[in-house]
Amino acid sequence: MSVTAADAPARARRTRSRRRLRAQATPYLFLAPVVLLFLTFKAYPTLYALYLSLTTRSGGQDVFVGADNFTRLLGDPLFWQALRNTVLILVTQVPVMLVIAVLLAVAFNSALLKGRAVLRVSYFLPIVMGLVAYGILFSALMNYQDGLINFVLDAVGLPKVPWLADPFWAKMAIVVAMTWHYTGNNAVIYLAQLQSIPTELYEAASVDGATARQRLWHITLPGLRPALFLTVVLSTIGTLQLFDEPYVLTNGGPDNATLTIGMYLYQNAFQFFDFGYASAIGYVLTAIVGVVALAQMLILRRRSR
Amino acid sequence: MTSTIPRRARRAVALALGTALLAGTAACSGGDAGDGDGTAGGDAELTIWTWDQPGEGLEAAVPGFEAAHPGVTVTVENVGNPAIWDKITTGMAAGGQGLADIMNIGVDYMGNYIETFPDGFANLSEMGADDLEQDFPATLWGSAQDADGNVYGIPMEVNTNVVFYRDDLFDQAGLDMDAIETWDQLLEAGITLKEKTGTDLFAMDKAASQADSANMWQLLARLEGTFFFDADGDIALSGEGAVRALDFLKRANDAGIVADVPGGWDNLMRQVSGDGNVAILPGASWMAGVFPDNAPDLAGKWAVRRPPAMEEGGYTAASAGGTFLAVASSSPHKDAAWEFVQYALASMEGQEAVYEASGLFPSYAPMWETEDFSAPNEYFDGMKVNQLFIEALSQDTPPDYYTADYARALRAYTDAQTRVLVSGADPQEALDEAAELLAGQTGRDIADS
Repeated sequence: MSVTAADAPARARRTRSRRRLRAQATPYLFLAPVVLLFLTFKAYPTLYALYLSLTTRSGGQDVFVGADNFTRLLGDPLFWQALRNTVLILVTQVPVMLVIAVLLAVAFNSALLKGRAVLRVSYFLPIVMGLVAYGILFSALMNYQDGLINFVLDAVGLPKVPWLADPFWAKMAIVVAMTWHYTGNNAVIYLAQLQSIPTELYEAASVDGATARQRLWHITLPGLRPALFLTVVLSTIGTLQLFDEPYVLTNGGPDNATLTIGMYLYQNAFQFFDFGYASAIGYVLTAIVGVVALAQMLILRRRSR
Repeated sequence: MTSTIPRRARRAVALALGTALLAGTAACSGGDAGDGDGTAGGDAELTIWTWDQPGEGLEAAVPGFEAAHPGVTVTVENVGNPAIWDKITTGMAAGGQGLADIMNIGVDYMGNYIETFPDGFANLSEMGADDLEQDFPATLWGSAQDADGNVYGIPMEVNTNVVFYRDDLFDQAGLDMDAIETWDQLLEAGITLKEKTGTDLFAMDKAASQADSANMWQLLARLEGTFFFDADGDIALSGEGAVRALDFLKRANDAGIVADVPGGWDNLMRQVSGDGNVAILPGASWMAGVFPDNAPDLAGKWAVRRPPAMEEGGYTAASAGGTFLAVASSSPHKDAAWEFVQYALASMEGQEAVYEASGLFPSYAPMWETEDFSAPNEYFDGMKVNQLFIEALSQDTPPDYYTADYARALRAYTDAQTRVLVSGADPQEALDEAAELLAGQTGRDIADS
């Protein structure tokens, strides 16, 4: 078949529109795997949990009960205790961790420190450690009878601490374990931010006779503000969802002293088979996280102006 | 072919599609690569979920079964206890996806699974299980039935509560364990024993780091003739007998003869092997099988007896539950799985292999009458240990009412126990609080005591 001159403009138009379509479709094709994964593993479970939160299981059937699970939650003393515990851990652990992380980042950034790369890696390593290894490690460290920490305390003449058996110390054990687990992560974020502070500022400050502490207070911390803002919000969200540490270390005990909302959700779903109630807890937790994160963003953003 | 799509774009599409497909299969990989409902003779790969000790027994039954059923292979997976409950629950909640063909399930979980997931297990009555009923203990058999009497699990081991004790230490302290009739007398003996040998009477997981921290109380409460719930399903947790049981633990703890040892298998084995430094191990018959492997040096030093009574003339035996084998209704090889369950649990050949390897006390009554079974136990100084268990099993024991809320009740109780043992709370007050919490969670009434 021969090509006539009359066909040429039409074909050119077709090719052009096809090319445009292809150009438009390509990003979606590249996104398809992620979108599919998101729909399968995030959107579907999230919506299914919403449906479950309005049901209760009775005689092998999911029975629609409306907002019953949510009203039950309001009158459940264990839920309130879990919320109290979670908030208590949040307000003690996050500030301690972030202060340590800032100090670590400043130290890692210092040219005076030898072997900085090794130290950076060693502080970041805990973040990738598996849950089980983590649990075994801390159980061994914090065992009352023959744990390493108590061995050291004993050796220097201090009394042994019932890390996992006493309601107060169990909370402290969770705080210690979490700090070990996540400090490195925050330090790395600060470290990245520190690199963006112009060295001229430090030089100028030195010339003006500023002390190290003044430089930290007036240059480093203001320079870190965006990273501080990020880590406060992220750590808050993470701590509100706290599950790993109480799960591997204390099982939520003793006497629910380390019961967190995440732990209570898990218990209701997988130990008590109360999936509807657990889903309701999940949605309430989501709402709390949303409100707290929003409040922090508003407050912190206003301050940073 | 003159496709207008350039090769690079084609490759991108293929990649995207491939990834999407991969994601799709990952999402629905339930391992149902089976051949419909395969017959027992055909090729089938069976998987069993179990844990340490019963796993060793089931493993031993596999060669005999495979020899008799060519084409069928059986894999025993030690999932671990309590991890196995999470795994089964997740599978059940997912409509049977990813479950093993055969599952080893404790009596305390059985009722809850049957009630919460009525379609989760294969109905064994329909496969002929009812013919086996007379060979198994009636209480256990009934615990794996639904309201209509359909059977969903075959009893694997049956347990009775017994007390293991260190004969050598009691001798050393000049105490006669045979003369002790009540727990109060044992408490007095424990004080003497601690003075003379420095050994604690028994251990508790005082902070209740594991659910098994309630085992001792469950034994004492049963000897009092009570349990978490009563026959009507009302909460019996704060009743008189329940409080007396917890009060005993408090008095022993206050007397300073209770070691604080966390729960779990490893810590139990520390006590068995003597590292836990305890004089008695209130436990169950299945434990007799773990002593020879875990405490070979203490052969002849450990002895075993029925539990003392809470009051003179009271119960001196208590049921300590048992386990079942159940078949998943989602299994593509239900018939083959059922064949295996019958071979392992209801045939002499299979049972002998299981018993030999695990030492667990069999539920299959014909096993009890064999000569090997009644032979003296060398580890326990030539004592006829199995006879002791059979006697205990035939004693009058109060029935257990687990109900579907057992897990919640257990949790509420262990928290109360922690308050008593760690913070010195009053047993009655602690159990009243626990009962009220439980009533609020489950909508059940609290029984009048």
